[in-house]
Amino acid sequence: MENIKKLILNTVKDAVIEEKQKLTVTVDYTKLHLLAKTLRDNAELPFDTLVFLTGMDRGEELGVNYLLCSSKDLSKEIVLKTGTTDRENPLLYSVTDLFETANYNEREVFALFGIRFINNPDMRKFFLNGDWNGFPFRKDYDANPELNPLNLESKDIIDIAPRIMEIDGKLVESTVNIFEEDDYIINIGPQHPSTHGVMHFRTSLDGEIVKKIDVHSGYIHRGIEKLSETLTYPQILHFTDRLDYLSANINRHGLCMAVEKAAEIEVPERAQYIRTIMDELNRMDSHLLAWACQTNDLGATTAFIYGMREREIILDIFEKTCGGRLIINQNVVGGVMFDIYDDFQKDVKSFIIYMCDKLKEYDRFFSHNVIALGRMIGIGNLSKEDAINYAVTGPAGRGSGWSCDIRKHIPYALYDKVEFNEVIRTEGDSYARYLNRLDEIEQSLHIIEQLIDNIPEGDICAKTKAIIRLPEGEFYSRVEACRGEFGVFIESRGDKFPYRLKFRSPSMALVSAMPLICKNEKISDFIGIGGSMDYVIPDIDR
Amino acid sequence: MILNYSQPLEVTNLTSWLDAALRSSLPEFWVLLIEFVLVGVAFLAAYAVIALILIYAERKITAFFQARFGPNRVGKWGLLQSVADMVKILLKEIVKINRSDRFLFFAAPFFMIVASMATFGAIAFGKGLHAIDFNIGVLYVTAVSSLGIIGVLLAGWSSNNKYSMIGAMRSGAQFVSYELSAGFALMTIVVLAGTMQFSTMIEGQRYCWNLFNGHISSLIAFIIYLISGHAETNRGPFDLPEAESELTAGYHTEYSGLQFGFYYLAEYLNMFIIASIATAVFLGGYMPIQVKGWVAFNGIMEYIPSYIWFFGKTAVLIFLSLWVRWSFPRLRIDQLLNLEWKYLLPINLVNIVLMVILVLSGLTLTDLLPGWF
Amino acid sequence: MSSVSKYFSGLFTGIKSLLFGMSVTWKELWTKKVTRQYPENRDTLVISDRWRSELTMPHDENNEHACTACGICEMNCPNGTIKVISQMIETEDGKKKKILDKYQWDLGMCTFCNLCVLTCPSDAIKFENTFENAVFNREKLKQQLNHEGSKLRDKKKEPLAPKAE
Repeated sequence: MENIKKLILNTVKDAVIEEKQKLTVTVDYTKLHLLAKTLRDNAELPFDTLVFLTGMDRGEELGVNYLLCSSKDLSKEIVLKTGTTDRENPLLYSVTDLFETANYNEREVFALFGIRFINNPDMRKFFLNGDWNGFPFRKDYDANPELNPLNLESKDIIDIAPRIMEIDGKLVESTVNIFEEDDYIINIGPQHPSTHGVMHFRTSLDGEIVKKIDVHSGYIHRGIEKLSETLTYPQILHFTDRLDYLSANINRHGLCMAVEKAAEIEVPERAQYIRTIMDELNRMDSHLLAWACQTNDLGATTAFIYGMREREIILDIFEKTCGGRLIINQNVVGGVMFDIYDDFQKDVKSFIIYMCDKLKEYDRFFSHNVIALGRMIGIGNLSKEDAINYAVTGPAGRGSGWSCDIRKHIPYALYDKVEFNEVIRTEGDSYARYLNRLDEIEQSLHIIEQLIDNIPEGDICAKTKAIIRLPEGEFYSRVEACRGEFGVFIESRGDKFPYRLKFRSPSMALVSAMPLICKNEKISDFIGIGGSMDYVIPDIDR
Repeated sequence: MILNYSQPLEVTNLTSWLDAALRSSLPEFWVLLIEFVLVGVAFLAAYAVIALILIYAERKITAFFQARFGPNRVGKWGLLQSVADMVKILLKEIVKINRSDRFLFFAAPFFMIVASMATFGAIAFGKGLHAIDFNIGVLYVTAVSSLGIIGVLLAGWSSNNKYSMIGAMRSGAQFVSYELSAGFALMTIVVLAGTMQFSTMIEGQRYCWNLFNGHISSLIAFIIYLISGHAETNRGPFDLPEAESELTAGYHTEYSGLQFGFYYLAEYLNMFIIASIATAVFLGGYMPIQVKGWVAFNGIMEYIPSYIWFFGKTAVLIFLSLWVRWSFPRLRIDQLLNLEWKYLLPINLVNIVLMVILVLSGLTLTDLLPGWF
Repeated sequence: MSSVSKYFSGLFTGIKSLLFGMSVTWKELWTKKVTRQYPENRDTLVISDRWRSELTMPHDENNEHACTACGICEMNCPNGTIKVISQMIETEDGKKKKILDKYQWDLGMCTFCNLCVLTCPSDAIKFENTFENAVFNREKLKQQLNHEGSKLRDKKKEPLAPKAE
């Protein structure tokens, strides 16, 4: 990393480099693009993955934190910080041309903080309506409901995007039409059986072929990050289950880890075992549902029911352990809330045997079906470069040949003690993603097999203070959720509440890649690709 | 007399008695009129009842395929479920759609139901249970059943809904393609049977079903007919026009109440019609299983009424259709057309030639083994 | 030639895969169905003891509970689901003492995160697995947990109900 420091100073002389939890570099906003580009193109260790793009209200200053990491080694991380003191008309430079995934994130920052990004091709508000008054995540936001009254009138969607471009050193504001004049546009969503939630794709069609997709999101945006700023850390925990509800336990694990790291709490061995097993059960639960939904999207309703049937057994195990099925509230800061029940091992082991059998049945039933193959092979191709550029992680990223499993790169809990394969396929099509999920179920079974008989005796939760205060600083944690990398960023000012909390949602990256990979596919494949990407909407609309 | 005595359960007895009774007291014109009305009412009733039974059967069988119980709350084993649904659908409001083409919108379901009704009329349900028996029955059925597509296209066009429109266009492409295969498959058997009249065709299969008579060629024609017939009824894996995961409900998205009910009924009845035509053409229709020389066996088989044979054979085919429907994912439009134009149609054309050769050179089973069949 | 053989091998592997698929559904047709028939199975239905669906305050046979009205649960609740209404009384020996007047819980707002039970210092509340919570209007979701006329249990006695593990 010394070389990197040198490189940074060579590129931007007045950069401020700090050794915090991560290497943190603060630069002037005019230099940020240059620095990011240099880091991305650095041959020795390219920082070519944008993990976090976090808008910040630092009080005086409005700014953005970027967490970059290397696609070759996810544990090599660097934080870039920049900001502007102009609160009236804050302008920063976009990095969309370097990292495609920045596009939606910058639009999100615009909606929530009001920072506009120069050179971002599409500066509409993400999550919020264009006519929303105020910027909710700023600290001085006026939440008076009269400013933004509840509106029951339906509004026309305006397909015109404003943007601000720098041409020959001058800033030019212009607008651009998203669709052409005579495009045949259909609204897939917000109420549509196959968007897996309230997602809205405005899709222009040429016959059966998708020409362009415009993503509208935010129908269930709850402002969880803002709400969290007034809650204590244990209270925030219950929100994480409601982000990506299918990987509830893993999300919660991520936040617990961030708090534990910051507060230096040692998690007991037994709790780690329980956490890892529950995470993997959760992963299987999610992948089974993903499998089921994908088959359903392709029209095989029967397979859907089979997937749900197997998932039910995991949910029963959850219910007996934590008293919840979907939202299971298992992890708490310092350990887990509930110890395993007496027959836990027995139930899990019988499930492993049962599931191995069912995986064979799935294989026989669907994986080689000639119709299904035709609907998946070579459809929705996502190249490795694009996967990295859009930061598409999880089974989808690994289906494009990108080794992006956090469990391997930055092991947490017990993942460095167990043996498992990172399932990687290089085809990058729907079928690769489909098979990856089934194979990951197998790997999860394998992980659980190794742990289930060795759960040590001991405490399930470390003693923590009644009120957990984090020291001042910035804390990151990254875990491998079911759909990819889930990240937590906490900026603490020494209080019992976070000053800013940000969740990195894997689904947002998945959706941002949809317009790319669905272009020129048939409309029925668009649905099938959506199923293979397996995004969960509440994860996007935090 | 002997025939009547040996088959006491046939409905023919009832109809001929009724006919005689009417003729004895009324002039010819009135007899015909009354009989027309009676037949019409009987058909309408049968149409509704068969659809209800089919809907119940499909829901139950689907559930069993999917490790569920299916309807089991209304009546014993949920037997009254589809009746309850029918009552509900009759009571529902018919929603008026803004900016739709009102006349076509209302007319479309009638095209659908009339087409399937007209085809329904040409089915031979049993010995003497045959409303119209043309000498060109096969041609008539193929012609009339393809009218239904007009209903689908009109529905898609007039609904002022983009999903409906796409669904209807898909349906059009699908129907035109698969009509061809279905027609050719039937033609293959017409070559074998040498007639287009259903009754003659069925009588000709007394000892040897057409399916076996033309062995290889018949079998291919049978499979192709089942596939394309299945596709014609817009049922999975060929349910692209209504593909609920893509187009929400395709061409009938905007319909509600009884109008939707018409589409729903017609869908199920079309399934029945396809199965019953396949039964008549390939499986000997209402003919009981007969073996040459086994007089006692034949007698017992004859004792079972012909309509039971007909419905039994049809039920088997319907079960097959359900089994296929609930096993496979949906095809994409290009796969669908591929299947037809790349596989079914060429195979079909070769198959007709093959059948002609078989018939001309005396290689059918009846020719080869005259003592047996 | 290769394209012809590809045509036929494609046709036959396709048909084979379809038949495999059909064999699976055929097998499933005869397997035991997994549907659980509620409410018929109410007598045999086993709900995990840990299942959280209703917050309760256990009272013993003397109509006494363990809540000291300290309000920690109210503070810890992320959604403001709990309202502890206390009143000051004067005990016999003249000291002022805070006792519980009303313990209100709104089921409609509860997310069942279990923080109240975890943080309660006197184990006065617990989640029950009585899951049939449907009511006809929202007002009925607001419940008062302490019984009418109940009072604080003396500390000497053993707590009635052990906390859910």
